[in-house]
Amino acid sequence: MQKKNHTDAELQELRTGGIIKQKQKDYFILRTRIPGGYLKADILKKYSVIAKKYGRDYVHISTRQGIEIPWIHINNIPKLLNDLKNLGILRGACGPRSRNLIACPGASVCRFGLVNTEELARKLDRVVFGKEVPKKFKVAISGCLNSCSKPQENDLGFLAQGEPEVDLSKCIGCTLCAKVCEKVCGRGKREPAIIMDENKRPVYRKENCFFEGDCVRVCPVNAWKVKKTGFAVYIGGRVGRFPKFGIKIANFVDEKQIPRIIKNAISCYNRIAQTQERFGEALEKQDIETIKKEIL
Amino acid sequence: MNELKVDQYLDLKGVPCPLNFVKTKLMLEGMESGSILEVLLDDGEPITNVMASVKEEGHQILKVEKIFGYWKLIIKKT
Repeated sequence: MQKKNHTDAELQELRTGGIIKQKQKDYFILRTRIPGGYLKADILKKYSVIAKKYGRDYVHISTRQGIEIPWIHINNIPKLLNDLKNLGILRGACGPRSRNLIACPGASVCRFGLVNTEELARKLDRVVFGKEVPKKFKVAISGCLNSCSKPQENDLGFLAQGEPEVDLSKCIGCTLCAKVCEKVCGRGKREPAIIMDENKRPVYRKENCFFEGDCVRVCPVNAWKVKKTGFAVYIGGRVGRFPKFGIKIANFVDEKQIPRIIKNAISCYNRIAQTQERFGEALEKQDIETIKKEIL
Repeated sequence: MNELKVDQYLDLKGVPCPLNFVKTKLMLEGMESGSILEVLLDDGEPITNVMASVKEEGHQILKVEKIFGYWKLIIKKT
């Protein structure tokens, strides 16, 4: 085969589609994306086929819920890309683009989950993925306050919240709700949101609530229910060399608003940031109240 | 309230999570539908975790009572 020289521009073009140069000459890592980390078992098998055919019989699982396949030789890339399309494996992003959306297991299986993240991740992939940005843009969704997908460390994070309400006619006065509440609120340095009155009836004080649903989970007679769910929105989180938590800009945002908020946040990032600057860094020079209005 | 007729009894004081739930679950599996199990559990994680898990398994909780440092749970098997 004739030896080809690949220009920087060609290599850059490859990067847009999740082909990353390895330190070894002529070898590349294929980065794929798995929206929300949900993958059909049949597709998973196809990863194995690709790793055996083009790589060195192993994969690397990234922290963004993607699977990477190293040791792809440059001459095999066109054939590989064609195979990926036929097999239904989605290519990931690198360079100045938005990344794979990550999510926790969510309410379909997790006992703590307040929202179904699987469905949401599938819907949002189109809105989130592969958009041109100054550096990179990461979005995460977490189904409860446990924050397993770390929304506060992403450029844009959605954290599910659940507001509880109690049906006193069902209450048997066991005090467990107040007990779990005191523990959570204590850790969060707040007075408990649930206290028992002199008749052993729970009294709910919303202003102290963290909206994480422990009272609902523990109630033996289902007197506590989740009245409404929504999302806290965090912007500007990052890790890397100079880590910083995202800033919370909203509570109880409706699920239907999420695509719009993502679009607005990406356009805001493009407006305020210089090339190579992360969203959080650019936000440091901005008035957050103005930014809030732009995004929400 | 009428005194409930307890069919089985489990003292799980000092038994940590998740072993306390496993023992509760195994006991319930061996019982007939509609029969009553009384369980004693430590305060803290044991009572809250076992409570949530028993509920998730679909059993009915009839009574929850705090007795000094531990809890008494009355469960009706579905």
